Amino acid sequence: MEVTFYMTLAGQVIQISALYPTTKEFCKDYLVEDGTEQLADLTPAITIIITPEDIQYEQEKSAREDEVEGIPVRHFSEPYLETLAVYRKIAEQMPFYDTILFHGSAIAVDGEAYLFTAKSGTGKSTHTRFWRDYFGERAVMVNDDKPLIRITQDGVTVYGTPWNGKHRLGSHISAPLKAICLLERDKENHIEVATAKELYPRLLQQTYRPGNPAAMMQTLQLMDELTGQVGLYRLGCNLSPEAAKVAYEGIHSTEFFK
Amino acid sequence: MRLKEGFITHETNGEQVMVGTGKANFSGLVRSNATAAFIVDTLKTDTTKEEIVKAMAAKYDAPQEVIEKDVERILETLRGIGAIQE
Repeated sequence: MEVTFYMTLAGQVIQISALYPTTKEFCKDYLVEDGTEQLADLTPAITIIITPEDIQYEQEKSAREDEVEGIPVRHFSEPYLETLAVYRKIAEQMPFYDTILFHGSAIAVDGEAYLFTAKSGTGKSTHTRFWRDYFGERAVMVNDDKPLIRITQDGVTVYGTPWNGKHRLGSHISAPLKAICLLERDKENHIEVATAKELYPRLLQQTYRPGNPAAMMQTLQLMDELTGQVGLYRLGCNLSPEAAKVAYEGIHSTEFFK
Repeated sequence: MRLKEGFITHETNGEQVMVGTGKANFSGLVRSNATAAFIVDTLKTDTTKEEIVKAMAAKYDAPQEVIEKDVERILETLRGIGAIQE
């Protein structure tokens, strides 16, 4: 019943042993082709083995969060919980490959990526939908929910992953990250340059926190590098499509002052 | 007492921030001023309230009662987020 497969994420080869075949199906766009010759040459950077305890942990964690939110405890299917467990285990290791998991919606326009982050329910996905409507074929969704971000001294790159939100929006692509925008609802659309210091807590709130202290420290260092390298903005927006134009033009008119 | 395992400090943008790892059951962020950062650093090894007050008195020129109050207040905050192991 167990299924083992290889996939690539953020430039790393990952070997996964899952309990449910649905997990392989979930990752299908990212699989390394099943050619034995090719597989023999692969040395995975990260090896993930899922156990029933990992799946149980996801259910318990979700239940605790529901209790904190004060909503009835939701129960999820084991195949779904396994996909969460796999990504958690990958995210635990990724800081050692200069990569973090970040909660936000990332879209590329003319080959450069823009990442929108906010509390759940603020309208990240709605905002990137406006970008797709406004830019048409120039725009490609990278990932609508949980992209990976690789941060090196040569630049910051955002990667698509199979974990791309309930609407399954995203692609197996990567793009240099130009800007991160903190989205807030407002009456009018407006955008301002923000400092690393003012956005730091909010950005860290949307970043996966590894359980391993060494990986957490590495995450904090990567956050410093990230906030130093990309444009940071506060975007106030209402739910009108014009917000996309205001955001894009705002980012492109302020970059000279960076 | 000491800082609980799973709490990590980091210097960034000219201040000390403290966060919990994914296992710490604390998903916030503490931004410490110089005094709080000094206390947090002292708590990285096993210590007592009295020792912290003594170390503070050696470093800062302030009346004993003021220092004691500061230490108590900051320890209370740290306890509130579950960052102290007694």
